[in-house]
Amino acid sequence: MSAADEVSQFERNARLVLEEGVRRIDARTRSRLNQARHAALEAAGTRRRSWWSGLTLMPAAGAATAALLVAFVLWQRAPQVAPPATLDAPHAAIEDVDLLTDADSIDLMEGWDGFYEWAAAQSDGNGESDG
Amino acid sequence: MPEFATLASPYSMPAALHGDVDLSDPEAKTQTRALNQFLAGVELKAFKIAQAALRHEDDALDAVQDAMLQLARAYAGRPAEEWKPLFYRILENRIRDMQRRRTVRGRVMAWLPGRADDEDDDYDPIAQAASSEPQPVRQLELDEAVGALDAALKKLPPRQQQAFLLRTLEGLDVAETALAMGCSEGSVKTHYFRAVQALRAQLGELL
Repeated sequence: MSAADEVSQFERNARLVLEEGVRRIDARTRSRLNQARHAALEAAGTRRRSWWSGLTLMPAAGAATAALLVAFVLWQRAPQVAPPATLDAPHAAIEDVDLLTDADSIDLMEGWDGFYEWAAAQSDGNGESDG
Repeated sequence: MPEFATLASPYSMPAALHGDVDLSDPEAKTQTRALNQFLAGVELKAFKIAQAALRHEDDALDAVQDAMLQLARAYAGRPAEEWKPLFYRILENRIRDMQRRRTVRGRVMAWLPGRADDEDDDYDPIAQAASSEPQPVRQLELDEAVGALDAALKKLPPRQQQAFLLRTLEGLDVAETALAMGCSEGSVKTHYFRAVQALRAQLGELL
């Protein structure tokens, strides 16, 4: 008998002995393994059902996503419709109207003419005294 | 079965009646049946392998249970041919985790007086000894061989022990064993060869 055959015979015997060890596993352990198996199968079923229940929510989720997408697109496009240059025009026009309609403001502006004349005279006077 | 078909029509029954498994889905039913068959076929051998590695019955049961759960949750959808190496890969990882945790716990417990040997409290040498009741000679020889092989397996390094049990007890081929052990086929051959040599040296006369 060769060494390889001896190993094979040894392996065969070892396998028989190991299987005998498996057969001798007590009823309590077998029962607990059985329970563990059923728990695992139930867990697999839960996961599978969760997947399906997730699928049933897909139409609602899709509609909500579409609505958000439309809102986003509209929001993005809104500033491009109105040219930025015209944004300040109404405010400027309102300010001009205020100045034209306010009598005090016009009087004040007329009064400033005298101020400039007075300031020029003061400046000339100082130049003469300096020189 | 016709007698069950008369109890209620499919329209009057909810889709899922047995736990959370949707029994109305034939594909799910087939897969659940196949998974049940697979797990029933490996659970005892897996327990023996875990017990040899962990040397503790409850820990071995926990390891097998965790491996079953993980396979069912994460890999039930994979082809059935892949289940066995995947299952033993998960079991191997679980065993390693438990051994690592046990090592850390052992280091901590070593600091506490009188607690270091708690791991072996469940081991009862009298209960493990062969019964004194008269038995046929063949049965006595078998008892002796089972005990001696268990003891010799416990002395093997973990990787040799695993390679030997996966190949000999579970019947995985070299490629499947490599996948289960997370190593190369060459490593499997080496571990297995050394395991057989060591066991033959110890049990050559007995087996």
